[in-house]
Amino acid sequence: MKEEETLEETEKYAVDSLEDESSSGDAARIAKYILFRTLLLMMSVVIGVYLVILVANMGGQVDDIRRAEISYNVSMQLMAMQDQLGDMPAEERREFERQLREREERRLGLDQPFILRSFVYLRDALTLDLGRAEQLTSDTGSRRVRRIILERLPPTLLLMITSFFILFFIALFVALFLSRRYGSKLDRAIVTLAPTSAAPSWFYGVFLILIFSTVAGILPRGGMVGAPPPEGTLPYALSVLRHAILPVTALVIAGVFIQIYNWRTFFLIYSQEDYVEMAKAKGLSRRNIELKYILRPTLPPIITSFAMALIFRWMGSIVLERVFNWPGLGRMLFEAIGLYDVPVIVGAQVIFAYLLAFTVFFLDIIYAILDPRVKVGQGSEGGKA
Amino acid sequence: MEERKYLDIEDIELFFSTSEGTVRAVDKVSFGLPRGESMVVVGESGCGKSSLGNAILRLLPRNTEKYEGHVFLNSEDLMSLSDEKFRHDIRWNRLALVPQAAMNSLNPVIKVQDQVAEPLLVHDMVDNKEQAKDRVVKSFRRVGVPTDFLQRYPFELSGGMKQRVSIAMSLVTEPDIVILDEPTSALDMLTQANIMNVLKRIKEELGISFILITHDIGTSSEIADRAAVMYAGQIVEYTDARNFFGDPLHPYSIKLMSSVPRLDVDKDLDYIPGQPPSLLNLPEGCYFAERCHKRFEKCSQEPPLFEVEDDWHVKCWLYK
Repeated sequence: MKEEETLEETEKYAVDSLEDESSSGDAARIAKYILFRTLLLMMSVVIGVYLVILVANMGGQVDDIRRAEISYNVSMQLMAMQDQLGDMPAEERREFERQLREREERRLGLDQPFILRSFVYLRDALTLDLGRAEQLTSDTGSRRVRRIILERLPPTLLLMITSFFILFFIALFVALFLSRRYGSKLDRAIVTLAPTSAAPSWFYGVFLILIFSTVAGILPRGGMVGAPPPEGTLPYALSVLRHAILPVTALVIAGVFIQIYNWRTFFLIYSQEDYVEMAKAKGLSRRNIELKYILRPTLPPIITSFAMALIFRWMGSIVLERVFNWPGLGRMLFEAIGLYDVPVIVGAQVIFAYLLAFTVFFLDIIYAILDPRVKVGQGSEGGKA
Repeated sequence: MEERKYLDIEDIELFFSTSEGTVRAVDKVSFGLPRGESMVVVGESGCGKSSLGNAILRLLPRNTEKYEGHVFLNSEDLMSLSDEKFRHDIRWNRLALVPQAAMNSLNPVIKVQDQVAEPLLVHDMVDNKEQAKDRVVKSFRRVGVPTDFLQRYPFELSGGMKQRVSIAMSLVTEPDIVILDEPTSALDMLTQANIMNVLKRIKEELGISFILITHDIGTSSEIADRAAVMYAGQIVEYTDARNFFGDPLHPYSIKLMSSVPRLDVDKDLDYIPGQPPSLLNLPEGCYFAERCHKRFEKCSQEPPLFEVEDDWHVKCWLYK
């Protein structure tokens, strides 16, 4: 019945006036969505970081270790001061030792309950006030965790962003190509290779190093730049590029087959939609159908699946950087774990949490632009998306 | 050979390969349709109606094994055209389709006006986007879609509106023939009646021929000039609509007509016992014999399509 009512009103509407209204509606929809997603992502970062703090401190157990460490240090100190304290009565001596210990504990905040301190840590972590490292130093010798991390961030970003883009475009085009040749030999080969993505990137890294640097000797086995670093921007960039080939390849190999397989399946499913058949009936060219009727509606789920894959890749990069001796966050985290350097571990996790949140956020924006059905808060008028 | 009709279908055969063997979905179907006239194709589900409609537009699924026969449009043999030429010159230029699942036949991420305008643009029927837009607006008005829906996405429309948009899309290029594949089957009664009225008006205004594929015999009588009854991939009766809706001859048509609910006559609805034969395993002789209430010995042989009266073809031995 509602349709009948709107029918009569038909003539009232002018076409042009509606266009602006609608496009501003689009922008408002996207803005609203982004705001909502930002809040949600911030919450997950907070929760994630807090969990890291709890785990890195073993829920407070680390305090006991540190207390034991302090009392050990203090008694060593006293032993070193044996000459001056030689005639001190035992009771006074114990009292002095206790004072020294308490002073050290207060300095480190160990006199307060862990749960209270954990929130202070959380605040500091989120504002990137990451404190001082216990063992690690930056290349310039600083102990500030923030400086150490910021120094290691660019190499990681270089590696990750390059490989993400390469992975995305290779997978997209090969998947599209295969969906046209469903059931061909190449298609079956890729499907067979898909399980290779179960192995992490560093696994392939080891083989790549073996083949291309140990046996063939054509590419460097690790590091980010030749030693000594070449003079001038261009030679330097070329050297970095040469060093990046193997790790990027490892990252791409580890992800590409499963990604192609996934997306090819998406394309196949979506190419059986009724509107694709309709587009064919309308006389659209093959290319047009592929772009507007298969690729375009498939992009939202593709972006989602890529976001998932990216999260997985971030994790894999930690060991990969170690294998390739790539001076990034991953290698730093690896070292920090080895040295039990809690501030650095927490700091690295905070940065990873932020990086992940940014990745997801970025993809969310793309998603909102791509899919007009994405809405938050309000119930849509059409109602049946 | 008599003079060709505007649309003349000759011996169309369509085979699909399935995991259980080859299936003949359309079995030597022939009919002619004069310009401006509309026909209705009725029959049970799975009797090849939709396959026939899609085949005329050369929309063949992946598992098509063989597609043969002739389709003449204004005496031009469409089967001899290359795929590319067929796509460009015939699809939507001369023949358009409102597919069975019209609700899902709109791309979810493109605004409806752009989708409706697409055929105009790909077939170079307009000089610029402004013209295209004018034609879209005209087409929307024609089928009763409010023009403020132009900027909407399909998910913002109700089922009836999507159906109308699909019809608007099929009419936007003003083709000669529009094949409507069950255009009202998923809609409520009011919307159904509404859409049939729209179609009737358009037929009168534009002189477009409709080929209405449906199992809803009641509503189809509104716009049909001719009627074809399909059973197991074959046309078993083809005649003028008045003949068919008044007094059909083929036993299957008779049963089909008496299964339509009527308010003016108080009677139990008739039905046909059994199922249509599996297309994989067709019986010898007349395909309908097994379920037929007038079966006799002759039915073990396949009957040809007899011309009972002028322009009244029935595939049954009763009318030899």
